[in-house]
Amino acid sequence: MKKILSQAWKEFMLFRRDKLLNMLAVLMPIVLMLLAGITGSLRLRNVSLLVYDYDNTPLSRTYLETYGAALTFRLKPHPPEESPERALASWRGRAALIIPQNFERDFLRGTQPVVQLMIDATDSNSATALGNYAASLNSAFTEKNGLTQPVPKISQAPQQGVVLQQRLWYNPGLSDRVYFGTGGLGLMLIIFPALLGALTTAKEYESGTIIQAYASSLTAVQWILGKALLYVVVGLVEFVLCFILGLLVFEFRFPSDPSVLLVATVLYLFAGVFFGMIMGNATGNQSAAIQGVQMGSFLLSLLLSGYLIAIRNIPIQIRWISYFLPATHYIQIVRNSILRNASWGTSFFPFVMLAVLTFAFFLVNAMQMRKMQFKG
Amino acid sequence: MRARIRRYYALLLKEVQQLKRNRGLVIQLMLPPTIVLVIFGYALNPKVRDLRLGVVDESFTVESRNFIDSLSRNVDFTVKQVYVSRHDAEDALKSLKLDLFLTIPADFSRTLNRGQTSAVQVVIDAVDANTAQIAQGYLEMALADYNSEIVPTPSVGVRHEIALASASHPAGPPGAPEVQSAYIYNPGLVTSWYYVTGVMSIIMFINASLVASALAVKEKETGTIEQLLMTPAQTGEMLMAKTSPVFVLMMVVLFLSLIVGILVFGLPTRGSLWLFTAAGALSALAGTGIGVMIATVSKSQQQAQLLTFFVNPPLTLLSGATSPIDNMPDLFQKLSYFDPLRYMVTIVRGVTLKTAPWSALWPNLLALTLFSIVLFGISAWRFRKT
Repeated sequence: MKKILSQAWKEFMLFRRDKLLNMLAVLMPIVLMLLAGITGSLRLRNVSLLVYDYDNTPLSRTYLETYGAALTFRLKPHPPEESPERALASWRGRAALIIPQNFERDFLRGTQPVVQLMIDATDSNSATALGNYAASLNSAFTEKNGLTQPVPKISQAPQQGVVLQQRLWYNPGLSDRVYFGTGGLGLMLIIFPALLGALTTAKEYESGTIIQAYASSLTAVQWILGKALLYVVVGLVEFVLCFILGLLVFEFRFPSDPSVLLVATVLYLFAGVFFGMIMGNATGNQSAAIQGVQMGSFLLSLLLSGYLIAIRNIPIQIRWISYFLPATHYIQIVRNSILRNASWGTSFFPFVMLAVLTFAFFLVNAMQMRKMQFKG
Repeated sequence: MRARIRRYYALLLKEVQQLKRNRGLVIQLMLPPTIVLVIFGYALNPKVRDLRLGVVDESFTVESRNFIDSLSRNVDFTVKQVYVSRHDAEDALKSLKLDLFLTIPADFSRTLNRGQTSAVQVVIDAVDANTAQIAQGYLEMALADYNSEIVPTPSVGVRHEIALASASHPAGPPGAPEVQSAYIYNPGLVTSWYYVTGVMSIIMFINASLVASALAVKEKETGTIEQLLMTPAQTGEMLMAKTSPVFVLMMVVLFLSLIVGILVFGLPTRGSLWLFTAAGALSALAGTGIGVMIATVSKSQQQAQLLTFFVNPPLTLLSGATSPIDNMPDLFQKLSYFDPLRYMVTIVRGVTLKTAPWSALWPNLLALTLFSIVLFGISAWRFRKT
């Protein structure tokens, strides 16, 4: 134990000397979490909609108002001579609404006028959503303007047989900040500890001081734990800061039973640092180690941990990877604790997986080191 | 002039030799466009499907079973389990076995047969707000389907067949205006195109900066920069020699990623390839500039790498490569104008997916040019100072 602590102390002295590193290690997660949480939003607002009203009647303007009143769309003027195709190709708007001549007349007469909506489908996902919004707005307009066929009293049949009463649990305001905030927290806490772990290990190889570790009386386990300890502490500081940021910006709530979250955080940080150290041991070169961390922890966690895309939407061929990512399980635990206010019961499986993965990373590390160490 | 070229050539030779020995770097450059692009393209599909639906059937009648049947016919839902008590369903939702559940009231069939409207409660796990909203939408459509089956169509009035463009939406009453949505530039609604073009641009920028900073700071770390400064070569020549192999490699990466995009994802190239190349070259230049700048500020590779990690993600996130800029808060939208990557992304999408007119593209190209001149200029100046 003493040896572990003194190894950690040595790391701390090294770490303290590098002021820039200090600052980055603490500041970076906060800035990144803020950015990732805010820009990750998938909700559409203020989509600029170009309007081509060839009817210009009170009714067509009412129709436009229906779109303008929705938060999704923002009506946008356009140069009179520009065709909608050209305007869309020049990024002047993301969709163009074309109301034909005789819109009002056709509507009042009861023949169905056709309004065209051209959507820039470069971002196909938003495009689909926009198409659906427009269809909803369209039926809202119809309903408001009294075209709904009156139900004949004789048949007694209701317009709607079954209606829905909806309850949205855990996030009734449907805010996506909480979702991306919690995911961002998980992402930050895997990137930076792994990065620091990789850098410090690879540096030992580059400067050749790893030989001293081999030759010393430290066992592989002691060396690894000593090295990891400091970065886990740094990670805990990052966790506290990110959590405060979460409370301030991302609508986090204190879980009533934080024990599972705290234990999981420590485990997760160890997993991150161990992963980084594996990379450092394997490559022995800072630049390559960073690349490894970037691919292994950042990219994979970003894509496959359920931060951006729900895991069930990942193609089945690569979905299995996500079960081997600590981030998958940790983000689950964070969301359970902060959003669902759930405790050990719900988080049991992810917790076990997280523990298993951490231990596995540790074993790989120990094996890498043991192979090299001189037998004492 | 000739001496200059000779010196540059000698330095270039040295850099190329060093690069040749550095296998890791070449792999580092070639891996992202192939593997990352493919993973990104396939994995990033935010379409919601296979929602796990639980049903609490308190009615136990033919009608309620028909209702459940009609829901399970829907491809977006899989009915996981029919529960007897609401409590069980709540537990299942809590332990993440379900995404949403319905409660069919005990008087369901009685109310329906009486010709009244029956209310069905649905509880959705809304932690993922986006999915919850979509689930809500799906459910409403499924319900509309069901209703249109059980509710007899009123026999009064003319009933036109109305075909809505989006078939998933229930038909409106006769005579209602119809919106016909035309999805241009990507009528097949291929999700991967958006991400592939975005990631392509990100790779150009980030890899250039990563590699350039690593190469430049290495000289400093090993102390060989002193030797370089002692040679008659001028700083400009040194910088050129250092960056030109990176630049060439980056251009290879650019076309490699375009080819992967075309072959694997069927990415269309509708616009001018020259413009694409020019934009790629400019952003490689800008990326290299950022990399060298970072190298001049930092004392060790460790610091340099961390700094690139600090600089690159904000650039990526603000550029609109992975999420549309319009969705961001206003302040962030304004900030994105200071992001050179934004222009690269715009041009790449303009050239591949859209046939953007030149009048819309040149401001982006101009901005990108300015950025790369400024960034590269600053980096040359900083390089001299060290």
